[in-house]
Amino acid sequence: MNFAAFEPVVIFTLLNVVMALGLYITALSGQLSMATAAIAGVGGYTSAVLTVKLGWPFLPAVVAAALAGALVGTLLALITLKMRDFILKLTTLAFGEALAVLAFNFDYIGGANSFTGIGLKTTIWTALLATAIALYVAWRFDASRLGLASRAVRDDPGAASAMGISIAFMRAITFAVGGALVAMGGAIQGHYMLVISPHDLGFFVSLNFIIFLLFGGLQTLWGPVFGAVLLTALPEMLRFTNEYRLILYGLIIVLVVLLRPDGLLTRTPTGRAIRILGYTLVPARPVASRASELSARPLPAYLLRRQAAE
Amino acid sequence: MELFLQQLANGLVIGSTYSVVAIGFALAFTVLRVINFAHPDIFMVGMFAGLAATAQWPAFGLLVAMVAGAAGAGVVGFVLERTVIAPLRGRDVLMTLIGTLGVAIVLQNGMALIVGPDPVAYPALLPRRFIDIGPVALTVRQVANFAICLLLLGLVSLYVRGTSYGRATRAIAERPDVAAAFGVNVARICQITILLASMMAGVAAVSVGMLYGSASAFVGLLYGLKAFICMLVAGNRYFEGVMVVGLAIGIIEALVTGYLSSSLRDAAAFFVLIGVLYFRPNGLFGSYNA
Repeated sequence: MNFAAFEPVVIFTLLNVVMALGLYITALSGQLSMATAAIAGVGGYTSAVLTVKLGWPFLPAVVAAALAGALVGTLLALITLKMRDFILKLTTLAFGEALAVLAFNFDYIGGANSFTGIGLKTTIWTALLATAIALYVAWRFDASRLGLASRAVRDDPGAASAMGISIAFMRAITFAVGGALVAMGGAIQGHYMLVISPHDLGFFVSLNFIIFLLFGGLQTLWGPVFGAVLLTALPEMLRFTNEYRLILYGLIIVLVVLLRPDGLLTRTPTGRAIRILGYTLVPARPVASRASELSARPLPAYLLRRQAAE
Repeated sequence: MELFLQQLANGLVIGSTYSVVAIGFALAFTVLRVINFAHPDIFMVGMFAGLAATAQWPAFGLLVAMVAGAAGAGVVGFVLERTVIAPLRGRDVLMTLIGTLGVAIVLQNGMALIVGPDPVAYPALLPRRFIDIGPVALTVRQVANFAICLLLLGLVSLYVRGTSYGRATRAIAERPDVAAAFGVNVARICQITILLASMMAGVAAVSVGMLYGSASAFVGLLYGLKAFICMLVAGNRYFEGVMVVGLAIGIIEALVTGYLSSSLRDAAAFFVLIGVLYFRPNGLFGSYNA
């Protein structure tokens, strides 16, 4: 079996896992960002400019890209703070499109002609390392008090606020951490595709990541991983069906949405948790019991909203 | 001044098409709480249904094309409502978006399989002649497109405001549970709403295909996003508001093309969207469920 032929598929799958995990963390506080591709693009452009125009090495450029992603993510969180549910989602959409338009009209980064001449730095090991980092970050974040607090904000902002959790802080931190992961994925992807165009920042690219999440299931961190792997590889696996493959792809999405409305992997207790080397992979405990744990202990000071003067 | 008036007229023509597609979005979203991302592709199906009908009966021209467009789009819309949208009602808005997006992928690629991925020439249903209205010159097709779209919008307005079904539609938009308690057949009204929106899109699609002289399996993408923005800018409380915003966005795009550059055209709508949502998060005319 010729492995080299599969290398692009494997790398794109891994990078999609990284970005899907970033979006998962972003979504933990209840706001599904529709600007994922734009933040990935910020990462891609940042690292491209740093390596090509300013001569930075690859690694610092990727780190800087992740920081830029965190910054833009925080900005987006702060813009959308006061907005509610549906409008909020759409503002993130518009934010992403605005960034795409900016990239389109900014000649320093290539404008409509795309940014070309990026050096090929990404190998399969880079992608694997990025995936490992993303998995570790997402896994630690998920289980931390920050993760619990952001889920509390997602499930009931009013109650979470009454418990003393700062909604603004949780939204900002989830968007920052998620944005950093997404931008990291975008930067590494840029060094593999060797070209970044404003079209890569658009809504329909962002939509792919949302489909990964909803397809795999939002309840655990394995849902997005599963969704990204399956849906990136699926069109390749369906290649034998030739021209029907995109039709089948669409049908599979429709069927999953109709038959598994919470995504393929859910938190519904199966009676047994999967344990490997002492770690629980799929927590079988329902969310509710974790939320009550949160309320049993006082929160650390950095999560507390400043008390109003009596 | 002449450029301004000319671009104003061009903007009205293209804006009227945005309005018709946007109204379809708004009807589905307001009444069913569903983002019907397959709507622009139903529009596309209508376009090709009209094309097929004129190929079959070339003698009857525009009228038979529009009837066929309405029928083709209506059938697809009705089946879609029964199989995908109805089961998704009441779920999270994003799930409906993903589900209908899956349908959109199927429709686009299915049509591309039948007619090929490249644009197809659309029959010239009306003569290519200019009409001078004062300083403005418009083609017969542009005028016809504008008239057809305006007629459709007028009919929707009449239906929603003036009939008992329309009253039931507005009742569901406001409070589905209360409407059901007062004896409104919610499922039936939902079917009719999607059917109506689809048929309208089908008629408008034939007129747009004629206007540009070409049809493509992927034409829906362009209209989809614009119409979506129109709905958001207007908010979904008044259908008439969506119509006005559709026309306004068409005009803004035409003016941006005329005075600035055509590469900024697609950006204009997004800047309007961000600007409006920043100051009025529920849209210019308010929304029911935001």
